[in-house]
Amino acid sequence: MDAGRHPLIDVVTNAEVISCEGEPGDFRARVRKSPRYVHEDLCVACGLCTDVCPQVGGNEFDVGLKARKAIYRPFPQSVPSTYVIDPDACLNLYGCLSEKQRLKLEKIQKLKHRKKDDYQPSLLACGHCLKACNVDAIDFDMRPEEFEVDAGAVLVAIGFKEFDARKLGNYGYGRFPNVVTSLEFERMLNASGVTQGHVVRPSDMETPKRIVFIQCVGARGEGGRPYCSRFCCMNAVKDSMLVRQHDPEVEDVTILYTDLRAFGKGYDDFVQRSKDEKSADYVRGRPAKIDFVPEDDTLEVFVEDTLGHNQRRIPADMVVLSVAAAPNDGAKKLAKILGIEVDQHGFIARRDPAVSAVETTREGMYACGSAVGPQVIPDCVAQASAGAARAQLFLTGHRVEEEKEPVEPMDLSGPPRVGVLVCHCGINIAGLLDVKKLARGAGVIPDVVVSKTHLFACSSAGQDELVKMIEEYDLNRIVVAACTPRTHEPVFREACAEIGFNPYLLEMVNIRDQCSWVHVEDREGAQEKAKALIRMGIAKVRHLQPLEAGEVPMNRSALVVGGGIGGIQAAMDLAFQGLPVTLVEKTNRLGGRLAEPNVKYLYPNMRPAAEILTEKVKRLEASGARVLLNTEVEDIKGFVGNFEISIKGKTQETLQVGAIILAVGADLHDPAGEYGSGKLSNVVTSQDLERRFFDLDKGGSLSPDGGQPSSASFILCVGSRDPEGFTGCSRYCCPTAIKQALELCKKGIDTTIFYRDIRTISFGAEEMYREARGHGVLFVRIPSDHKAEVIGDGRATAVRCFDDLLGRTLEVPTDLVVLSVGMKPRQPETDRFHDMLKASVGLDGFFLERHPELAPVETVVEGVLLAGTVQGPKDIVDTVAQASAAAAKASVFLAFDKVKLDPIVAAVVEEKCRACGTCIDICPFHAPEFVEDPPGVTVARINASLCKGCGTCASWCPSGAIVCKHFTDRQMHAMIDAFFDEEPEPVAVDDAKEQVAR
Amino acid sequence: MTDGKKKRTHVIRKPPKAPPPKWNPRIVVFACNWCSYAGADTAGVSRIQHQPHFRMIRVMCSGRIQPGFVLRAFERGADGVLVSGCHFGDCHYVNGNERAVEQFEKTMNIVKLLGLEEGRLRLEWISAAEGARFAQVINEFTDQVRDLGPSPLNGQNHTEKTQTEST
Ligand code: FES
Repeated sequence: MDAGRHPLIDVVTNAEVISCEGEPGDFRARVRKSPRYVHEDLCVACGLCTDVCPQVGGNEFDVGLKARKAIYRPFPQSVPSTYVIDPDACLNLYGCLSEKQRLKLEKIQKLKHRKKDDYQPSLLACGHCLKACNVDAIDFDMRPEEFEVDAGAVLVAIGFKEFDARKLGNYGYGRFPNVVTSLEFERMLNASGVTQGHVVRPSDMETPKRIVFIQCVGARGEGGRPYCSRFCCMNAVKDSMLVRQHDPEVEDVTILYTDLRAFGKGYDDFVQRSKDEKSADYVRGRPAKIDFVPEDDTLEVFVEDTLGHNQRRIPADMVVLSVAAAPNDGAKKLAKILGIEVDQHGFIARRDPAVSAVETTREGMYACGSAVGPQVIPDCVAQASAGAARAQLFLTGHRVEEEKEPVEPMDLSGPPRVGVLVCHCGINIAGLLDVKKLARGAGVIPDVVVSKTHLFACSSAGQDELVKMIEEYDLNRIVVAACTPRTHEPVFREACAEIGFNPYLLEMVNIRDQCSWVHVEDREGAQEKAKALIRMGIAKVRHLQPLEAGEVPMNRSALVVGGGIGGIQAAMDLAFQGLPVTLVEKTNRLGGRLAEPNVKYLYPNMRPAAEILTEKVKRLEASGARVLLNTEVEDIKGFVGNFEISIKGKTQETLQVGAIILAVGADLHDPAGEYGSGKLSNVVTSQDLERRFFDLDKGGSLSPDGGQPSSASFILCVGSRDPEGFTGCSRYCCPTAIKQALELCKKGIDTTIFYRDIRTISFGAEEMYREARGHGVLFVRIPSDHKAEVIGDGRATAVRCFDDLLGRTLEVPTDLVVLSVGMKPRQPETDRFHDMLKASVGLDGFFLERHPELAPVETVVEGVLLAGTVQGPKDIVDTVAQASAAAAKASVFLAFDKVKLDPIVAAVVEEKCRACGTCIDICPFHAPEFVEDPPGVTVARINASLCKGCGTCASWCPSGAIVCKHFTDRQMHAMIDAFFDEEPEPVAVDDAKEQVAR
Repeated sequence: MTDGKKKRTHVIRKPPKAPPPKWNPRIVVFACNWCSYAGADTAGVSRIQHQPHFRMIRVMCSGRIQPGFVLRAFERGADGVLVSGCHFGDCHYVNGNERAVEQFEKTMNIVKLLGLEEGRLRLEWISAAEGARFAQVINEFTDQVRDLGPSPLNGQNHTEKTQTEST
């Protein structure tokens, strides 16, 4: 959506790259755009054409669950929002013939009509849509276009394709209609999808009572792809919860899994909740086959329950296959055109993911997201930003100042004329609330001129509708009842601003996140609540005042705090763009954890850490970033664009920067006292072991007792996934332990790994896991509520634990115990920066990103960004990607010479001010000050660039002289009153008000 | 999809307890944009269900919530008022929530003077991550106010209409 609206982004759809020449900084790509047979600039997406189209084609987006017409809109939020004709389905010959065939046909026709020389061949067989279209947007004469694009850099983001589950015959996909893939299931759950959010069995369109999810279909070896697809576990957990909320008829949900890979931030808590709520039954096992029971049209899943130790037949009405992600079909072809390589799986290959998550094998070409391998959304988004950051390096000089044509502000004076737009949000809102009734109810409230509903108010069609309402009804106030203003107010404000409608005359009413989503159990109450909230919104909007955003200069420079791998990456990405960057590091060397002598090799490529680090540091030096070692940040003042930072190193200094990137890293869990650590001599942490590997060449030994141990045991999740401590997953430990175990194993040491779930989600880690098993590393699974026990006196002799898979307690003799310790927030840095910056910290103690999917590197404080493990545990690949992403986001701020100030601030009504000084005492930002104006009269005045708009002074001012804009007393009172003022019943509704837009 | 034909009962769950409570209180919740309002959104995103008898009024910071707002709500017939903000140390504006406490204490005194039960006014800190806690607070507070019954001030000052004077 945002991309579609952005002035500097051209979206070319239906297009493919056919050639690409040139060199980094100066590529020339030829693009072929296939015709959509609908002019994008003319189509208004009214849908009349689809209504009349007689022809039905398959529907890729709804993954074949629903048919669609030959002229259609791919999906409700599509960009461009116009319709398109499917040439394979359209009856008009032009569409479905190849160029060659068409020429031939034209020739035949011309021959037939030889006599009339002005004859234009027309092969229109149908043309219903042509007639229906009011704006003449449909054009069957469109031909494929080819054009050239100049580009400094190329970013490949082609995504993935579903693994074809037909290849696994034993699951019966394609044979049994009620075996569906996770994608098909997801479409059903989606409000705007085929079934509008209801899950139905494709065979009889009935709600299934028993649903079985099968994980890792076509992933992690066994008949498919060798890697883990990363997103499927959480997807299944989420879907199992959603389906229960949507359809209470669903009785049993079973998830058949191998390892539950809930590795992301907060994912483990989510799984725990699903278990607490009993939304699904978790069974560990890979099913052997699925059988169809024709008698009652059900399915039977045969699985060995590896924890319950029995063979089970699970009856099911529907089976959902969580299919793996496979490389996109065109990946190989595209790679060839671009001159880059693909990896052994067919994904776009990267030079070395530990160096850069997005660099392909050719300079100037980058790849991100699922094009390089399966990803979860937060990682995809971070990577995409990282890709953009790298691409920017080739675009310097192309920076375009935002030169928007200033729009003539509309005249919005006069008595309020309110327009109300109520959003269905698919069935997110409309599934519970009667939105039309809400709109009708709002329509009869005084001052409301028009009240409509829209399927997706935030889609471009929805925004167009809003604009149309404003223009048609001459509105000067808007109420949008939809989702939360915290994410969507900017969207609507911008739509208003574009036509010169003052965006601060708009109010959003939250009837999704805080109503339809949370009051499912009380539909009436929810409807009542939504009604009241809209009424209150209208009451507030009556009193809103147009506000203008001010501007202050932007300091186009950045500060990076922390010289670990994340900090280094972020600093150089920014510095290479020509921005002045200062990197401050507390210690006397760069590299953070990588520089400690306890990291030897880095998976996936097993390159020595030191080598990677040297490469990075060299590039950092080349970038021109200023590096200050032995330096600490003492204090931070100011706001985006104008941070004032006191640093203390050799000298005391004050820096003026526009943006701050926090890359202070994380600490490792201290296992003291656990598992005999500290008491038993041969219990070490994974870091100790890594150091020992390092010292081995210098005559050190692997065991603290000297010499080579005969056997070793790894205990995973020490300090992670701990209900009393850090509940999350530290992500890096599984692959690290396996890497180390493999190395020990190769030295002839018997190695056992005690784990809860093996989460080899990193790039190449699953392969390593398989290799380790092949080498004879023993894996022992312990239940999540158990802990292994280290036995020994003075020295560990064995590990005792309950083996989940064998169902009995084991005692494994051991010569060395390695504890894989997790990460925890770094202290005191986290607290200090939290205090100085006011950026929020999550429940787990790590800095909280503004939004896990939409804004994974931003904080709530504008201009403060997160890179690496400050935000949560990560491995190097993800840290580096996130650091580049943070740099990209920072450069967005730093691209402009000015920062726009939020106009929602407090102001003093100077006639009322008695200069008591309360506000001056109270404001933590030192925004109010005394001025003498006119001479002899002292009043308080608030500096708008310092004021953050909290409104505390307004509530304290004893003379009521301070107005907190956009949250004035009058507006607040009006809202309170409106709660208790019942509106008149909607009796006679005049037509204009009842219109319902699609 | 908008033709209103679909009237399936799929979304409604059975009410949790057997006899539905007869009287539902009217509760005003003041919430700051950054923590408690965000926490309510988090409850939404995680679909944590709670009772719907409250109405949110969003302000930027709990420091904005002055006694006048709370008293206005009681005067107009609120049966309960919940003031909420960020945990101490988490306020987006440094210490607005500490100011909010001072205001809250003043308000509480007046509320008591008015003869209202203490249980009708409550202060809670809820962070952006605490969706579950938000739901829990709402449920608890709603039940508590329901037990207290309708506000003694209820039904008194209802004649006064919203004034639409301009600023
Ligand atoms: S911002 Fe939440 S209390 Fe101040």
